[in-house]
Amino acid sequence: MFYIPSGLIQDMIAHARELAPHECCGILAGTNQTVAENYRITNILATMSEQELSRFEGAKLSDLQRLSPEERADIAFQMDAREMAMAQRAIRAKDHELLGFYHSHTFSPARPSQTDITIAMEFESYRTKLNLPAPLHLIVSLEHPDTPDIRAYRIMDSQATEVSIQPISAS
Amino acid sequence: MIKVRIPTPLRPMTGGKNEVEIAGNSVAEILENLGSAHPGIKERICDDEGEVRRFINIYVNEEDIRFLTGKETPLKEGDEVSIIPAIAGGR
Repeated sequence: MFYIPSGLIQDMIAHARELAPHECCGILAGTNQTVAENYRITNILATMSEQELSRFEGAKLSDLQRLSPEERADIAFQMDAREMAMAQRAIRAKDHELLGFYHSHTFSPARPSQTDITIAMEFESYRTKLNLPAPLHLIVSLEHPDTPDIRAYRIMDSQATEVSIQPISAS
Repeated sequence: MIKVRIPTPLRPMTGGKNEVEIAGNSVAEILENLGSAHPGIKERICDDEGEVRRFINIYVNEEDIRFLTGKETPLKEGDEVSIIPAIAGGR
């Protein structure tokens, strides 16, 4: 069970709506099982060069190469590495931990895609070396725009397992 | 020699190895020598101006080089360099 202030959930939904049809992305931080803050991170995918797309693999890479740069950000995200590093520094300064990542699925359910799982496993291979805790992967789905769905997962051994999230009132 | 961790998407360029040993006294030297040992890999990490691409973080031990002295960050025996793409994903 993870506890997330209702205001942060609303902010993540607002973030997803502001960027739609592009996917949004960000970082969650806090302590133990309680999220205390979210950091909006820029999805730089639409401004990545053709060569940089090779950061993706397989079917996702082929899909991205078929689309225009603007359309690419509708089906994927790439966090800005500098903003991610700045957020991690701010998180440490507050004695918080990086608890997880969030992103939106504009047209599909709040379930990790194969790309989400592949890249989560990529991160998993570095995580322990950098002394970071196992992250939660939270997805905001705008598939049904009037009723956004938010779900959270642990991704281990290439399997996504849903984790309950409990909204709490801000303290 | 410095241990350099290679991210998954670049491992085809290091013969599948997730770690390589590279000589160098700074991150810049490591990137240069990594590029000589594994042609093409430096261009995947750095742009045409030689700057680290916007989706890649480089860590020395557990610290991002942006908070050290960037590519000029000095290295000593026993340090570890990790090249890590920022989180991505998609539907």
